[in-house]
Amino acid sequence: MPSDYLPDDLKHLWKELASNPVEVSPSQLRREAQGLERGVRLRNSFVTGVCCFIIAAYGFFAFLSKTTLERIGSVLSIAGAANVVVQFLKRPTRKLPDSGAIESIRFYRAELERHRDFHRGKGIRSWLLPFLPGPILFNVAFALDRPMFAPIIALQMVVFLIIAAVIVPLNLRMARRYERRIDALQVTHER
Amino acid sequence: MSANPGQEEYWRQTAREYGAALERLAWAYEPDPDRRRDLVQEIHLALWRSFENFDARCSLRTWIYRVAHNVAISRIARRRRVEPVFVTLEDIEGQPCPQDVEKTTDSQKALGRLLALVQQLELIDRQLMMAYLEDLDAETMSQITGLSVANVWTRIHRIKNVLIRQFHAGGTHAK
Repeated sequence: MPSDYLPDDLKHLWKELASNPVEVSPSQLRREAQGLERGVRLRNSFVTGVCCFIIAAYGFFAFLSKTTLERIGSVLSIAGAANVVVQFLKRPTRKLPDSGAIESIRFYRAELERHRDFHRGKGIRSWLLPFLPGPILFNVAFALDRPMFAPIIALQMVVFLIIAAVIVPLNLRMARRYERRIDALQVTHER
Repeated sequence: MSANPGQEEYWRQTAREYGAALERLAWAYEPDPDRRRDLVQEIHLALWRSFENFDARCSLRTWIYRVAHNVAISRIARRRRVEPVFVTLEDIEGQPCPQDVEKTTDSQKALGRLLALVQQLELIDRQLMMAYLEDLDAETMSQITGLSVANVWTRIHRIKNVLIRQFHAGGTHAK
């Protein structure tokens, strides 16, 4: 009867759990590890490629632009895109303990903090905000120089700003959720 | 991929000696069978990769449990839309005992009840309880969780008492 189980019996009972172990072969693991590394390289290449395209396009605009304001906007856009590449490539990846110094709760806390920081303050400031001024300035300059395109540019800017305005509070809300979980973890750990 | 010469050997030893324990660890974190299977594979993959850097400064067993717990709790951290359901020991004491009506034998009922209780524990308590059930010593538990050895013992004692009380109360309930 369940009520007859004593602490040591609980241990025996617990060990009855894994009756059908998942089969994993070394070759499968090797393939998956290589696949993961390929995935990371592919993702980095994609982001770098997109940003290179933006840099090339704004470089082209900067070269052809008739007004100083457009050139400044182009240069800022190039700088913003280059910054995205830098931030992305230097972004700390999730690391498993390799020195034997990280306990799992501390690791979990670090994970939560990493998610939180990505969604707020420094995280947003490091990649989103530097990217905004360039395209805005370029579009404004473009519209001023070519008034016939002004309505389209205005619409484009409204959409651009709405997206940017929505991204910030959404990220901050996510950051607050992570913060609450960190607080809960802290309370638990100190108890 | 430049592998540590011992990488495959370490992993084979892990699969041989700790395979079942890693399965049980996954049970404690993932009630859903498909997700549990994914978690086990993810743990094996993480261990495989981690053995590239394993320098034997801690025991293999400590390393394995630490990596496995890290993978499991990182999965929880990554799953943004679904909040993990953790409850305190006090909450568990106040709850009706979990019943698994699908199980047919007393042993299965008891196992289902134990698992349900473990799966509800807060992260640290769950780690400690799993370590206790796996017969890990207090020093290893301390290295895995970052708690002091004394704190480990205090907590284990408290969790064990609550679980045993709940477990036995559940047994009476089930009759």
